[in-house]
Amino acid sequence: MTGTAIEADDLRRTYRTRTGWLRPRRTEIPAVRGVSFTVRRGELFGLLGPNGAGKTTVIKMLNTLLIPTAGTARVCGFDVVAATREVRKRIGYVFGGDRGLYERLSALDNLRYFAELYGVPARQQRGRISEVLDLVGLAGRERERVEGYSRGMRQRLHIARGLLHSPQVLFLDEPSIGVDPVAARELRRTVANLAATGTTVLLTTHYMAEAEELCDRIAVIAGGRIRALGTADELKHHADGRRVLEVEAYGVPDDRLTAIRALPGVREASLETVGTGHLLRVQSDANSDLQHHVLGALSGIRLGRVSTRQPTLEDAYVAIVNS
Amino acid sequence: MIAVGALLHTKHLSRSVFEITIALVVPVVQASLAVYLFRAGTEPHRMLEAAVGAGLMGVWSSVLFGSGGAIQNQRWQGTLEMLMLAPRPAVLVILPITLATGLTGTYAVAATLLWGWLLYGIPLDFARPLAFAVAVPGCILALGMFGLLLAATFVLMRNANALTNTLEYPIWLVSGMLVPISVLPGWTGPIAAVLPTTWGARAVRQAVTGGAVWPSLGICLAVSVLCLGLGTLALTYVERRARAAATLALA
Amino acid sequence: MISALRLIGLGGAIAYRALFNWTTPAMFVGTLLAGPLFQLLFFAYLGRQLGVADDRFYIVGNAVLAASLACVFGGTMAVANERRYGTLGHVLLSPRSRTVLFLGRALPYAANGLLVAAVTLAGGALLLRLRVPLAALPGLALALAAGSLACAFFGLLLGALGLRFKDVWLVSNVAVAVLLLLTGVNVPAQTLPAGLRAIGSLLPITHAAEAARVLAAGDGLAAAMPSIGRELAVAGAYAVAAATLLRLFEVESRRRATLDTL
Repeated sequence: MTGTAIEADDLRRTYRTRTGWLRPRRTEIPAVRGVSFTVRRGELFGLLGPNGAGKTTVIKMLNTLLIPTAGTARVCGFDVVAATREVRKRIGYVFGGDRGLYERLSALDNLRYFAELYGVPARQQRGRISEVLDLVGLAGRERERVEGYSRGMRQRLHIARGLLHSPQVLFLDEPSIGVDPVAARELRRTVANLAATGTTVLLTTHYMAEAEELCDRIAVIAGGRIRALGTADELKHHADGRRVLEVEAYGVPDDRLTAIRALPGVREASLETVGTGHLLRVQSDANSDLQHHVLGALSGIRLGRVSTRQPTLEDAYVAIVNS
Repeated sequence: MIAVGALLHTKHLSRSVFEITIALVVPVVQASLAVYLFRAGTEPHRMLEAAVGAGLMGVWSSVLFGSGGAIQNQRWQGTLEMLMLAPRPAVLVILPITLATGLTGTYAVAATLLWGWLLYGIPLDFARPLAFAVAVPGCILALGMFGLLLAATFVLMRNANALTNTLEYPIWLVSGMLVPISVLPGWTGPIAAVLPTTWGARAVRQAVTGGAVWPSLGICLAVSVLCLGLGTLALTYVERRARAAATLALA
Repeated sequence: MISALRLIGLGGAIAYRALFNWTTPAMFVGTLLAGPLFQLLFFAYLGRQLGVADDRFYIVGNAVLAASLACVFGGTMAVANERRYGTLGHVLLSPRSRTVLFLGRALPYAANGLLVAAVTLAGGALLLRLRVPLAALPGLALALAAGSLACAFFGLLLGALGLRFKDVWLVSNVAVAVLLLLTGVNVPAQTLPAGLRAIGSLLPITHAAEAARVLAAGDGLAAAMPSIGRELAVAGAYAVAAATLLRLFEVESRRRATLDTL
C-alpha cells in the first residue's frame, strides 16, 4: 500500500472554445500548464491561487470530472483516466455553496440518495448518515427541506455528503466562503479532525489564515503553473528580507500607485479597499527605508495610520503570484 | 404609457428563442390537425373556418400562458413584490404584459392561415374581409383585457401554472372555437355566454362565413371591459391579501 | 443485483420527488388529471361533430395519450432539472452504472403516466357513457403500461438532449404537440400522408393506442398483442438511445467540459 494519496505528473489541460456561428473562430485556452505534486496519505494539502489560476481545473482532473489533455494523475494508486470507477469509490468532493443540493428534499433524503449513488452498503447507510450529520452538527434538523437552509447549513450538508462513503481522499473547494466566522471556525476544526484520523485532504482556499492554520503543505498556483510549494514557513521565506509598509489612505489614484511602484527598492505595491478608504501595502527590501519616499508620493492625499511590519504568508503569496 | 409597455413586452417575448419556436411550430401543428380532421370528416368545406378557429386557439394559449407565466416569472425572479409595491396602480404595470401576449397571439392567427394556405391550399376567401380585419384585432384586445383578470388571480396563487395548464382545452371547448357550442351539454351555455372568448370567436367566425359581426364584437368588447374592471378591482384586493398572507414572494 | 434494484427503486423514487415539478396536489390534479380529461372531451366532441370516428376511438386514444404529458415532461425533468439545482456534477461522481441510474429514473414517471391514463380513461368513459368490456381491463392495463414506459424513455432521451443543449423545454413542448398530431389518436392514421404515418409509427403511444382501441372493442388480448409488442420494442429502442446518448455526453464532457457539471 503506497504512502502516496495523490500524484499529479505534468498535468495539462487546454480548453478549446468556438465563438461565432457562421465562421467559427477556435481559440485554445491553456488553463493548466504542467502541474506536478504529490500528497502523502493523511496529509492536509492546500492549493492557493487567484481566480482563474487553474485550481478548479486541477481538482476536476484529479476527481475524474475532466480528462487531462496531457500528463497523468493517480489517486490512491489508481490512474484517474484508466481506473475512473476505482478512483470515484475512494474520493469525496465538497463544493457548491448555495447550489448542488436538491432543494425540495430534506437533508436526510439528499443524504439517502447520495449514499445510494456513492455505493454505501445498504446495511450501513442509516448508521453512516447519522454519523455524518452528527459530525457536521446538523443532527436534529435533517428533516427540514434544504430550500430553507442558511448558507452555512448548506455548506455543512455538502461536507456531510462528501464524507458519506468514508473516502480516503477528500477534495474541499473553498469551504469557508460566505460562512460566518464562528461557523467557519467550526468547519476548520472538523477538517483538522478529519486529517487527524487519516483522511487525506486537498483544500483550496483564498483565506491565508485558514491555509496557514490547517495545511501541512501549501502549493501556490498562478497562471496554470505551480509557483511555490512547501510548508507555510517555507513559503514565507519568499518574502524574506522584506519589509512591509502599510498606509491607510483615502483615495489613491492609479497614477500615484504607478509612481510608487516605480520607486527604487519597491518590490510590490498593492491597494486594498477597506471600508471607505484604501490600504496601501508596499513591500520593499529590508534595508531600504522608503517611508519618506512613499509618503512623498502620496502628498495631498489624506492619510491615516502608517506602520511597518514583517511580512506574513499573505505577503509571501502576493510576492509569489506577482513574480 | 400602456402602448409603450405593451410594445416593450412584445419585443421581449419575441426575443426568446423558446417563444419564437413555439409560436412557429404550434400553429403548424394546429393547422394540420384542423385540416386533417375537417378533411376526413363530413365538413370539408369548412376548412377556412377550421384554420381560423385553430388560430384563435393559438391566441388563447398565448394569452393564458403569457398572463399566467408573466406573474409566475416575476415571482421566480423575485420581482413580484417590487411590482406590487410600485407607486403606480398595478393595472398599468400588468395590462401591457397581457396585451403583449394578445399581440403575439396575432401572429398565431396569421401564421395558421398562412400555413393553411401554403401547405394545404386553403383558399383565404372571407365572406367579409374588412370585418375580419377589424374583428381579429378587437378579439385580441379583448383577450388581453381578459388576461388581466387571469393575471390578478394568479398573483394570489402560489402555483398558477396548475391552473394555466388546466384552462387551455376547457376554454377552447366552451368558447366554441373549433367545436360549435350547439353540440355541448346545455349547462355550458351560460358559462360560454360570459366569456369574451366565446363572443370574439363568434365575431371572427361570422366575418369568415358571413353573418352579423358587429353585435358579437360589441358584446365581446363590452364583456372584456367588464373583465378589465373586475381585474383592476381584483388586483387591488389581491395585492392586499397577498401582502397579508405573505404569498407574494413564494415561488 | 440487489444493489442495482435499490438504485432503481429507492434512487428512482427519491429522484422523482426531487426533480419532478408537478408533485404538489394542485399541480398534479390540474396539470395531469384535469388537463388531459379536458383534452379528451375536446376531441371527443370535435370528433362527434365532424363524424371522423366514433366516441370509442377518441376516448380510448386520448386516454393513452394522456400519459404522454406526465411521461415526456417527467422524463425530461428527471435529467434536465439537474442543471437547475447544480447537482449534475455530484451525480456524475458516482461510481455506479449510469445506465441503471438514469433508466431507473424513468420508471416512477411511467407509473405516473399509467395512473394518469387510467384515470383519464375512467373519467372519459363515465362522462361520455362509453362501455368498456370488463374482460378487456387487464389487457388495457398492459397496453397503457407499455405506452407509458415508451413515453418515459422518450422523455429521458429528450432530457439527455436538454443536458447537452439548451432550451430543453422547447423540445418537450414541441414533442408533445407532435405526439398529438402524429400518433393516430386524434387524426386517424389512415388520413395522414404516408410520410407522417411512418414517423408516427416510430413514436411512443401510437401502437399502444392501437392496441387499446382493439381491446376496448372487445377483440381480446390475442388480437392486441402484436401492437403491444411493437410498443414495447419502441420503448426498448428509446431506452437504448437515451442510455447511449447519456454516456456519450458524459464522455464528451470529460474531454471538452461541455456539460454543466460544476
